[in-house]
Amino acid sequence: MVLQAALEAGMDIPHYCYHPSLSVVASCRLCLMEMKVPDPKSGELVWMPKLVPSCQTPVKEGMEVRFNSPAVQQNQQQCMEYFLLNHPLDCPVCDQAGECYLQDYSYRFGQPTSRMVEEKLKNPKKDVGPRTLLYQDRCVMCSRCVRFTDEIAGTHELTVVNRGNRAEIDVFPGLPLNNPLQGNVVDLCPVGSLLDKDFLFKQRVWLLRETKSICPGCSTGCAIRIDHNEGVIYRLKPRFSPKVNDYWMCDEGRFGWKYLQDGDRLTRPVVRRGGEVFYPRWEDIPEIINYRLRKLAEQQTPTAVVLSPMLACEEAWLIASYVRALLPQAVLVASWLPVQGAEQNFPVGSPAEKARFTIRPEKCPNRRGVELLINKLGGASSTLEDLIKQVKEKKIKAAWITGGYSQRDWVSKELAAAAKELELLVMQDLYANALTDNSHVLLPSCCWAEREGSFVNQAGLIQPFERAVDGPEGTRRDGQYLYEIAGYSGLYRAEKVRERMAEQLAEFRDIYVAPDPPEHQH
Amino acid sequence: MSSDFEPILMRNVGVAKAADLQVYEARGGYQGIRKALQMSPEELIDEVKKANLRGRGGAGFPAGMKWSFLPKERKVTYLCVNADESEPPTFNNRVLMESDPHQLLEGIMIAGYATRATVAYIYMRGEFTEPFHILQRALNQAYAAGYFGKKILGSDFSMECYIHRGAGAYVCGEETGLIESLEGKRGWPRIKPPFPAVAGLFAKPTVVNNVETLCCLPHIVLRGAAWFTAIGPQGSFGPKLFCVSGPVNRPGCFEESMNITVKDLIYGSKFAQGMIGNKAVKGVFPGGLSMGVLTGDELEMRMDFDSPRKFGLLGLGTAALVVFNEDTDIRDVLLNVTRFYAMESCGQCTQCREGTGWMYKIAQRISLGAGRREDLDILVETTRNMGMMPGLSICGLPDGAAFPIRTLVEKFRAEFEQHIVRQEPGKVERVLRVLN
Ligand SMILES: Cc1cc2nc3c(=O)[nH]c(=O)nc-3n(C[C@H](O)[C@H](O)[C@H](O)COP(=O)(O)O)c2cc1C
Ligand code: SF4
Ligand code: SF4
Ligand code: FES
Repeated sequence: MVLQAALEAGMDIPHYCYHPSLSVVASCRLCLMEMKVPDPKSGELVWMPKLVPSCQTPVKEGMEVRFNSPAVQQNQQQCMEYFLLNHPLDCPVCDQAGECYLQDYSYRFGQPTSRMVEEKLKNPKKDVGPRTLLYQDRCVMCSRCVRFTDEIAGTHELTVVNRGNRAEIDVFPGLPLNNPLQGNVVDLCPVGSLLDKDFLFKQRVWLLRETKSICPGCSTGCAIRIDHNEGVIYRLKPRFSPKVNDYWMCDEGRFGWKYLQDGDRLTRPVVRRGGEVFYPRWEDIPEIINYRLRKLAEQQTPTAVVLSPMLACEEAWLIASYVRALLPQAVLVASWLPVQGAEQNFPVGSPAEKARFTIRPEKCPNRRGVELLINKLGGASSTLEDLIKQVKEKKIKAAWITGGYSQRDWVSKELAAAAKELELLVMQDLYANALTDNSHVLLPSCCWAEREGSFVNQAGLIQPFERAVDGPEGTRRDGQYLYEIAGYSGLYRAEKVRERMAEQLAEFRDIYVAPDPPEHQH
Repeated sequence: MSSDFEPILMRNVGVAKAADLQVYEARGGYQGIRKALQMSPEELIDEVKKANLRGRGGAGFPAGMKWSFLPKERKVTYLCVNADESEPPTFNNRVLMESDPHQLLEGIMIAGYATRATVAYIYMRGEFTEPFHILQRALNQAYAAGYFGKKILGSDFSMECYIHRGAGAYVCGEETGLIESLEGKRGWPRIKPPFPAVAGLFAKPTVVNNVETLCCLPHIVLRGAAWFTAIGPQGSFGPKLFCVSGPVNRPGCFEESMNITVKDLIYGSKFAQGMIGNKAVKGVFPGGLSMGVLTGDELEMRMDFDSPRKFGLLGLGTAALVVFNEDTDIRDVLLNVTRFYAMESCGQCTQCREGTGWMYKIAQRISLGAGRREDLDILVETTRNMGMMPGLSICGLPDGAAFPIRTLVEKFRAEFEQHIVRQEPGKVERVLRVLN
């Protein structure tokens, strides 16, 4: 469509109802343009006397259109006056202020005053679902939210009721907006009409800083953005990623990160020797680990490295290659896999091959990355169940285990019992559990938002993510201490590590970074 | 005016039990479809093209041409019968359905045969309770007599017919709003392309025709295109129903050729027989509300498809006249007109949704005696900033809002201004304070 082409060419064409992943309705009439058509008599190309929606007009070879004409601009101005006729102008108390296309377009394409002297229609806010509020008087009736529930979620909760300027978005009686993708309607809403209760009145958006990340919630690996300020995360938003999540993310991912702010995280390294407990400084950790592992090597202690699917590829590689350098026989083991429920395809009920969005049962971001490393690094490998047996049979006597799950109860009884048999347990995790309590060296982990690296999603795409915030006081990024343990000095940068990995593993030469959508598309 | 016009579409109006199949058949009914079935669909379409039968639903689009837009290769075709008749002062479809339902059913069969339709849906205005029961009864009779269903009258032609009742939205008379509504959705008109002929109801090729258009078909088939084009002026052939309402002596629905003028319809002895109490005509909406208004000095307008343009009107519309007399306050007319479109805009397109609502607010204030001169300018400007003609909307409803409001303000501007001049000072501020 001409609108998409113009946006991709960097033009700022105002639009509300058009969205590249929803059906075209051409109803907001804001994106109108002038177009040349052949004159019926002469056949010559002449400007059509009427405006046409650029969102509804396919691009054709040799076509001529324009947006900079007085007629086009007058329509934009007129539309902006109309949109504000019944709008309460309550930007100071509106969450959307600062990222609102009613504000932006009024400023860029509108006029400063309204000529309507009558009272505005009032329409109180509505509670449309457990997570979402609807401020109807701010709505521009673009119907994006309705189309999302029809076309992407397939759950049809939202609809339009009433006619004319009394038309409003609503839910059906007793059927709230409550589908696993519902948060996307807030992102889609170009104005402050649909708002997220979780974020409501928490931050002015202009204070937020954006960090590109990948959602760790499931193996889909949605491209996301972490919005944070002064070290505190306020919300997650999906980023456009044509190969993965299009423009969407699920609510599980969107709201599932709160555990990382729980306050009972492990924050300082611990060393246990005999019955004694020490709290070493981070600076001393490389030496402590080195000393312990060198002793294992001297005594040829059979050792395992348990790699969590919560680790970034770079972190897993640093641990595995470091341990293997000292203990070439070390067994690599893929750690526990959090699996929950069944695959959920959307629109609801569509078969996997027609799905426009999928929430996957594997609730971790990097099983494929860990498996890839284990396969490519070769040598001895095993499964978690076999490892437990081997430990019981004293065939494995030392282990480095990584966790990092949001599930605090991830350690099974069998694993906990087996771990007590170990001569040395190096443990990396977020929260205290049976393993961390019995470890000889405990290294607190950071959450994905506090780290950087890459995850390999279910489709095999290697997707980098950046660090948004610092971990709680006392923690250190896993990548940093692993980097130092492995003998490197300086600041850990995932990219540098990836370069080294790529020398050895060709897969890591090809990472997937989703393209930024055009600046003025929304 | 020609008094030799013999009623055709309304020939059974007033005949006892004309809604009964036997009576209809006894008066020559269901002969058109018998003749049509002897022709090929192509021949039938050609005949209708030759008759230049223009749609009676408002836009005047030639029916034969519309049918020929259907793609050659198609398995399923739907025929939608537009019986939504929601245009103010319009009741000609209602008269046809109440007094001669079989005529419509026969027309549906002929159109269905010509377009190879498999199913016909009659989309009926929700408020039409009487016509619904009458038509449903007639349809049951027609089914029982083998006029609908499989292998109609022993031919290879099969078609089902259903009546669907609307829920009272004007916009569901717009053909794509009608289609959405039939599909069980909110009646929001669709963007075109694709046109209904290509992808309409349930995304299948679809023809939408008005009740009166279809009622002409049995007669065209029986009497031939030449007979049809002998009636009325060039480009506006065939019999036409005209509704007249307002303070006239004999309001009603009348049939004539499109040679007739507004004046004849109001004053003719066969028609409305003049104004009650001999009042002067102040104005007339001659084509339903949506085409615009004529002043009392413009009654010479001929009621055909092309003349209304010359008077600044949108078209013939539904050919339903509503007259208002010299006692009418023009501000009340404006209020009533603006209110209708503000209530009926479906709310989808910005300019239509907000424009109609804003104009209604202004009209309310003007009718309370608190108008401002600039209001008149805003009204005119707003009517220019809406509608399909400037490309600012999906459907024609705002064009139909723009024309009556603009022509009212422009043609009666002096009167509006007089009211404004006579207002007590400070009235605008006071009314606004009360309203706000
Ligand atoms: C707002 C609006 C309302 C309409 N309402 C009706 C109606 O009630 N009945 C009707 O026959 N046509 C109505 N039309 C016209 C239809 O869209 C369509 O043109 C017509 O049904 C075609 O039939 P015809 O070609 O036989 O006239 C309406 C159009 C608009 C824009
Ligand atoms: S609530 Fe937002 S997304 Fe939905 S129609 Fe209104 S403006 Fe559009
Ligand atoms: S023009 Fe008006 S009535 Fe027609 S689709 Fe748009 S908003 Fe609805
Ligand atoms: S009409 Fe094109 S973006 Fe809304």
